[in-house]
Amino acid sequence: MSQRPEDILKVFSKSEELLDMIQRGRAFTEELMSENERLRYRLVQMEAERASAEELHKREVEKLRLEADLARQRADFLDGRFHEIEEENKDFAQRYVEVEEQNESLANLYVASYNLHSTLDPQEVIGCITEILLNLIGAEEFALYVLDEETGELALTGYEGDALTMLHADRMAVGEGLEGMVAASGEAFFALDTGETGEVCACFPLKLKEQVVGVIAIYKLLAHKRQLTELDHHLLELLAGHAATAIVSSKLYAQTDRKLKTWEGVMSLLRES
Amino acid sequence: MERKSLLVVDDSATFRQLLCMSLTRLEGISQGDITQACDGADALNKMQSKAFDLVLTDVMMPNLNGLELVSRVRSELQSRVPIVIISTKGEEAFVEQGMKNGANCYLLKPISLPRLREVVSGLLAM
Repeated sequence: MSQRPEDILKVFSKSEELLDMIQRGRAFTEELMSENERLRYRLVQMEAERASAEELHKREVEKLRLEADLARQRADFLDGRFHEIEEENKDFAQRYVEVEEQNESLANLYVASYNLHSTLDPQEVIGCITEILLNLIGAEEFALYVLDEETGELALTGYEGDALTMLHADRMAVGEGLEGMVAASGEAFFALDTGETGEVCACFPLKLKEQVVGVIAIYKLLAHKRQLTELDHHLLELLAGHAATAIVSSKLYAQTDRKLKTWEGVMSLLRES
Repeated sequence: MERKSLLVVDDSATFRQLLCMSLTRLEGISQGDITQACDGADALNKMQSKAFDLVLTDVMMPNLNGLELVSRVRSELQSRVPIVIISTKGEEAFVEQGMKNGANCYLLKPISLPRLREVVSGLLAM
């Protein structure tokens, strides 16, 4: 079979086209391979970056967890400290109230003792002691016994409460009854409860240094006063010292005054004769 | 600050002095602002010649007791001055009578001085 030159040329032309196409295909394939290589490299790079980022993230998370734990611990510590300080604060507030109460009581005692020592009249002194026991301590029934130096007995000098005269003797020997025992020992007695009518709920000696000059016995507190507090005990003991001084001073003054008047009478008689 | 005048009525001089000393710890009250009366009759006389911002009175007193004093201040003097009763008498009948007669407050002896100052400040601020 013979071919025409035009056909032969056409075949050539087509083969060139094909060759060109193949060459372009090759170039494109090479380009694809190169791109693939680049992308693979990029993938490896990105995976490495991802791994590094994950590592970093893990470390960050760990760090944050540690910081959170630390913050929690610090919060717990601060919370504990806050509660401690709050407790301390309450304690200080309580102590402030107590000190304030003590201050008030000492101020009361100051005024009371000032009034006790402002008179030399034995009856006024007794009246003052009665006022103090009633208004400052809250005693409703009580008795004041003063030691009679001549007989060595305790003599009822002042009292408050209607039942007292019925229940208690005007005089009692030192060592007899609770009041006498307090006078003998010189030690104060405080009952645990307020007791029933007639029972002693507090009895304390009136002492000048170590010498007992009398006793005060409290038989009943005011209805709204449940019991004597620690502060009341302290106040009563302080009051006892002041009351003893005031009673002895007023007695001495009264004796001196009587003697003076007697001597003045004698002198006047002598002058007249 | 406006000066306030107070009347303290009690037959116990010691207790009157105590109240005066405690009240002077309040802001704006000095010893000179406090007048003392030894019983209800004395208090009534003093109230007729001077107006007070507050009266503190005991119950058991000679001549005129605290409950009668409150009653007469309200009825005879027609005064609305705040009155605080301070007494050892804590029985309900006394408290009721005091409040019925026109007292503003009834406090019991032995008194807590901080509580007294609280009551007095409240009444003076009214």
